[in-house]
Amino acid sequence: MSSKWKKILLLVVAACLLTGVFQVQESMNHDRDALGLTRVQPLENAPPVLAFTTVALGGFRGLISNVLWIRASDLQDDDKFFEMAQLADWITKLEPHFVQVWLVQGWNMAYNISVKFKDFSDRWRWVDRGLELLRDDGLRYNPNETLIYRELAWFFQHKMGANMDDANMYYKQQWANEMAEVFGKKTPDLDELIHPQTDDQKRRARLLREKYKMDPEFMKEVNTRYGPLEWRLPEAHAIYWAALGLEKAKLNPTKIKEDDLITLRRVIYQSMQTSFQRGRLIANPFIKSFEFGPNLDIIPKVSAAYEQAAKDDEKNRDHIEKAHRNFLKDAVYFLYVNNRMADAANWYKFLGTKYPNGTLLDYQTNSFPRNVSLDQYAVSRVQVDVDETMSRDRVKAIIEGLLANALTSLAIGEDERAAGYKLLAQKVRETYFEKTKVRGEALAISPLDDIQREVVNRMLDPEHGVMPEMRAVLRTKLNLGPEPPAASASTNAVPSLPVSTNAVSERASSK
Amino acid sequence: MQRLLAIIWLTWKAAFRFKLFLVVAVLLLLSVIALPLLIKDDGTARGFTQILLTYTLSTASGLLGLSTLWLACGTLARDIEECQMQVVAVKPIARWQIWIGKWFGIVSLNAALLGIAGLSIFCLLQWRASRLPEKEREVLRNEVLVARGSAKPASVDKEIDAATDEALQDRLKKSRVEHADLTEVRKQIREQIKAEYQVVPPGYTKMWTIDLGLAKNYLRDQPLYLRVKFNSADKSPSGTFGGLWLVGVPKKTALWRSEVMSLAPDTFHEFAIDPNLFDENGILTIQFVNGNDTALLFPLDDGMEVLYREGGFGLNFVRGLGIIFCWMALLAALGLAAASFMSFPVAAFCAVGVLTLVFASGTMANAVSEGTIANYNAEKGTKGHSPADVIVIPTFKSVLKVISLARDFSPIDSLSTGRSVTWAQLGAAFAQVVLLLSGCLAAFGIFVFNRRELATAQATQ
Repeated sequence: MSSKWKKILLLVVAACLLTGVFQVQESMNHDRDALGLTRVQPLENAPPVLAFTTVALGGFRGLISNVLWIRASDLQDDDKFFEMAQLADWITKLEPHFVQVWLVQGWNMAYNISVKFKDFSDRWRWVDRGLELLRDDGLRYNPNETLIYRELAWFFQHKMGANMDDANMYYKQQWANEMAEVFGKKTPDLDELIHPQTDDQKRRARLLREKYKMDPEFMKEVNTRYGPLEWRLPEAHAIYWAALGLEKAKLNPTKIKEDDLITLRRVIYQSMQTSFQRGRLIANPFIKSFEFGPNLDIIPKVSAAYEQAAKDDEKNRDHIEKAHRNFLKDAVYFLYVNNRMADAANWYKFLGTKYPNGTLLDYQTNSFPRNVSLDQYAVSRVQVDVDETMSRDRVKAIIEGLLANALTSLAIGEDERAAGYKLLAQKVRETYFEKTKVRGEALAISPLDDIQREVVNRMLDPEHGVMPEMRAVLRTKLNLGPEPPAASASTNAVPSLPVSTNAVSERASSK
Repeated sequence: MQRLLAIIWLTWKAAFRFKLFLVVAVLLLLSVIALPLLIKDDGTARGFTQILLTYTLSTASGLLGLSTLWLACGTLARDIEECQMQVVAVKPIARWQIWIGKWFGIVSLNAALLGIAGLSIFCLLQWRASRLPEKEREVLRNEVLVARGSAKPASVDKEIDAATDEALQDRLKKSRVEHADLTEVRKQIREQIKAEYQVVPPGYTKMWTIDLGLAKNYLRDQPLYLRVKFNSADKSPSGTFGGLWLVGVPKKTALWRSEVMSLAPDTFHEFAIDPNLFDENGILTIQFVNGNDTALLFPLDDGMEVLYREGGFGLNFVRGLGIIFCWMALLAALGLAAASFMSFPVAAFCAVGVLTLVFASGTMANAVSEGTIANYNAEKGTKGHSPADVIVIPTFKSVLKVISLARDFSPIDSLSTGRSVTWAQLGAAFAQVVLLLSGCLAAFGIFVFNRRELATAQATQ
C-alpha cells in the first residue's frame, strides 16, 4: 500500500473513531451524571479566568487546592487570618462544584475565625464573609445545592439568631442596620420592592436583589406561608433560605437526599419557633438600640409547621412531636403572661387534646393536662424560668407579661396589685441578672423602665393597643397627658448604634 | 581586586546578555503593581497591608531566588561548557577569584533587583497608607508599619526546677521509686508545678510583672500592647471566656482597667493599654481576673507579652530585605557550587532539588519529632519502628540543623506583623547564612572548580 493510500485510510479510521466516540459520548456523560462519578455540567456564571483555570488545570486542581488548604490550616493555627479570605477564595474556585469545600470554608470563617477576635466588629466581618462566600459565590456556581442553602440558613438561625456567641446582639444590630437600608428605615413593605415606583424604591429593590441575592416576590410568598415575619431579624432570613432550598430541591429531585430536605424543614420550624419567642422588633430610640418581643400572631402557623414536619419526617416524628409539645407549652405560657387568657385557654385545650399523655411540668410525673389547670401550669412555669433557665427571651417575655398585667391592673384601679406585679417583674430581672452577669452584654436585658416604656407604648398604641377608655385612664395614671389627635409618622426603624465594642454597657451592668 | 571587578563586570554583562536583569526587574515591578489588584484581603486596612507585604515580598523572594539559581548555574556551567572559561582561566587570574567574582556579581545583581523591588513595595505601602482615613493610618502606624519590640515575664524555670527537686525528694522519702521511673516521676512533678505557675482558677487573679528594661526610657507617653493567649480546661458554649485586665499598681503608677473582654482560648489576642503604666524601674504589673466557671491556663512561653514601639518601619523594612538578601547570597553560592562540577541542566536540577528539600523539611521535622519514619498514631501516641530509623533519624536531625541555620529567620512574617527585625537578627543572618553556609558552599565550589579539568568540558549544544 502506497504512503498516500495509507494516510487516507488512517484519516478515514480516525474519522470513524471520532464519530463513534461522539455517538457514545452523550450516553457516557449521562451515565457519569446519573452515577455521580464526575460532574459533567460546564461551570456556569464563572468569570473567564476561573473557567479557564478549572479546565486548564484538570486533575491538578485538587492538588493545588490541597496545598492551599494546608497553608490555610497552618496560618490559622498561627492566628494569622489576613490571608484566609484570599485562600478560601482560591480553594473554592479551584473546586467550585465540591460542595463540602464551600461548606467548610464558609463555616470556618463564620464560626472558627470570627470567634478568635475580641472586637465584635471584627467578628461580624468574618461572619459576614462566611455568609457572602456561600450566598454570593457558592450558590452562584451551585444554584441547586440544598446543603449550601441549609448552611446559609443555619448561619442566620444559629450564628446570628441564637445567643451562643457573645456578639450575637451586635450581629443582630448590624443585620438590622443593613436591612434598614433595604426597607427604607421603616416597617418592611415587600410590595414596594416587588413593584418599585420611586427611584428610592428601585434602588432598594436592586440592593435586595443584587447584594443580598433575595427575590422580594419569594420573600412575600414566604411571609404569607410562614409569617408575618420580621425581615430585619435573622430568623426570617433563615426561613427564606431554607424555603428557597426546598424549592430548588424540587428542580432536581433525583439528586436530593431526603435527609437534606429534613434539615431544611427543621431550620424552618425551628426558626419559626424563635420568631414566635422573639420575632417582634421594638426600636428603642432612647438607648439607640432595639429590643425583642414575642410574636404571638404566628402561633397557629408555627404549630402547623410542626405538624407538617412531623407528617413529612416519619423517622424523626417522635422528636418533632416532642418539640411541638414544648412549643405549645411555651405558646400557652406566653399567651398567659401576656394577658391573652382566651387564646391561652384555647391552646391549652389543644395541647391537652393533642398530647394528653405528656407531662407539663418537670419532675412532676402526674402533671398531665387533665390534672393541671391553666393557672397552675403558668405559675409553675414562671417559677421554673426564673429559677432555672437562662433564656433571655423567656425571661424578657415574662417581664413584659408581668408589666402588662401591672398596667392593666393599674387601669382598672387595682393599684396594689399593679405594684405587686411590678415588684415581681423587678425581682425576676434581678434574679436573671445575677445568674447571667458573667456573660455580660450577650444575655443582657434592658432596665425595667425601658421595658415598661415598650409595654406602655404598645398598650397605648391607638391602632393595636387597648381600648380608648383604658388608654385614657392609663395616660392619666402615668401622667402622660391626653392622647394626640392623630398618630405621628413615626416609624419602627431600628436606630443605628455607634460602633460597639464588647464592653459591658452600663445598661447590662446596672441592676 | 581589579581581577574580581572584571569578573563581576562580566557577570553583569552576562545577566544583561541573557536579558535576565530586564525580565526579572519587569516581573518584580509587575508583581508589585498587579498583586494589590488581584488579592482579596480581610476587609481591613491592616489586613490589606499585611497581605500586601506578605505576598509582594514572597513573590519578590521567589522570583529572585529562582533567577539567582538559574543565573548562578548558567553563568559558570555554560561558560565551562562553551569553553569561554578556558579563555578566562589562562588569564592571570586565580580560579578562586573567578568563582568569588561570579558570586559577587550575582549577589550585586540581586542587591540591585531587591532594591528596586523593595523600593517599589515601600512606596506602594506608603502611598496606599496615605490615602486611608487618619484613624486607620493610626492603626497601621501602631500595629503594622512599625518596628515593635517585645518584653516577656522573667523565666521561672529555675524556681520550677528547684520546687521540682524539693517535691521529688519529699516523694522519695515517702515512697520508693524505681530508678527507671525516676525520670518520668520527675517529669510529672515538674508539669504539676509548672501548671501552678500557669493556671488561673475560677474566681482567682493572676499577676505578671514585666521588666521593660532600657526601653522604659523612651516609652513614656507611648501606647503599649498586650499580646496574650490562654488555654481553657473546659469548652465554653459561646466559644469564648470573659476576661478582665488590670494594669498598674495602686498608689504607685497610673492604673488601667479593661472592660470584660470576650476572649477565645488557644488564640493570641492583642490590645492596647494606656501609656505610662509602668513604674520608675520600668516594671509593668498586669493582672487578669478570671470570672469564669472554669480554670484558664496562660502558657509560660507565650501566654503574656508586651509589645512596644521600638523604631520606624523604614529601617525595619531595610533590615528585613537584608535577611532576604542573605538568602539570595546563599542561593548564589549553591548554584555556583553545583555548576562547579556539573553541567548546566544537572546543576540547575540539583540546586532546585536542594531548594525543594529545604521547603519540605517539615516532613523531616515530623519524622524527627516522632522518632521514626514508620507509622505514627498521634491519637494513641503509638509509633511503629523501621530498621532505617537508626540511620535516617540522625541524618534528618543533622540536615534540619543545617537548614535551620538559614530558615530560622522570618523577616516577611516579622514585617507583616509589625515586629522588629533587629540588627542582631540581621547580623546573625549574615553570619549564619552568608559567612557560614555560603562560605562552606564557596569553599567546596572553589575546591572542585580548582581541580576541574576545563579542557574536557563538552558543549551541550
